[in-house]
Amino acid sequence: MSKKKNEEVMKDLKKKLKNKIIDIVQPREKRIYIRVEPEKAPGVVEYLFSKYKCKFCTATGIDMREGIEIIYHLAKEDKNMIINVKTLVPYSNLEIDSIGKKILAFRWIEREINEMLGVKFRGHPDMRRLLLADSFPKGKYPLRKSFKHSDVTDEDYDYERSGI
Amino acid sequence: MDILKKSFKKSIWVFHLSTAACNNCDIEVLELLTPRYDVERFGIKLVGSPRHADALLVCGSVNAHAKPRLLEVYRQTPKPCLVVAFGSCGCSSGIFRDSYSIVGPVDKVLKEEDPDAKIVYIPGCPPKPEAMIEGIIKGLEAI
Repeated sequence: MSKKKNEEVMKDLKKKLKNKIIDIVQPREKRIYIRVEPEKAPGVVEYLFSKYKCKFCTATGIDMREGIEIIYHLAKEDKNMIINVKTLVPYSNLEIDSIGKKILAFRWIEREINEMLGVKFRGHPDMRRLLLADSFPKGKYPLRKSFKHSDVTDEDYDYERSGI
Repeated sequence: MDILKKSFKKSIWVFHLSTAACNNCDIEVLELLTPRYDVERFGIKLVGSPRHADALLVCGSVNAHAKPRLLEVYRQTPKPCLVVAFGSCGCSSGIFRDSYSIVGPVDKVLKEEDPDAKIVYIPGCPPKPEAMIEGIIKGLEAI
């Protein structure tokens, strides 16, 4: 019974998002992966969030070596499903439109991805640091694969900025 | 020095400072104050300001955000003062040693500011309350 319903969601999304996405798969009964170009990802996520009545769980960023992959995790609660919108932001152009400028819930996670992986979110209203120390050197991103602990020594820290 | 010994004998006032600790050590410090160990019978007492303290109890692997705060508190503590590097993290940064935000254990940070700082190490995750009392007594002998 439930399996039938879930296929409905898949078909529905396929029809509605046809020309915006690269591909859409359903690896398990309760999960859908959507792969999107970085230019179109904010639009797709906004559509799923506001029109398709999904709840926003979180967003994650992973260093895939050719770029940073951002995954938006959305929950379709009435159908008991998780929808993941994946987009690969290439290293050559590490920019993506901010969703946080319209939807408040995206702001903090975008700040975190920005400081940890160095993706720039265009139009974000408040791009301060969230978790890293204020004295942490600018232009170093600790969750990238290329980052080593020895990249940041004590001399790199700018303690003037730490507020004391 | 005799007057120092006499005045320290039954009135060690401790300022408890947490520099990016996981809170386990902080909870274990409370154990010392409760009736089972009750360190106040030795005159060891937690105070609210570093300016009143004879000893600094520093928990946690010092990270970049906490380092200037630790140094500022150390500057405000009247000398001579005893610094207790508390727990595995305080002694050696523990499992967080190679993390991106850690700038070093307590002794490394303090020796930059004051090479003559008197530091006692109490390892353990968290240390046993007996070890804490023992450590503070040993530190006093060193002063």
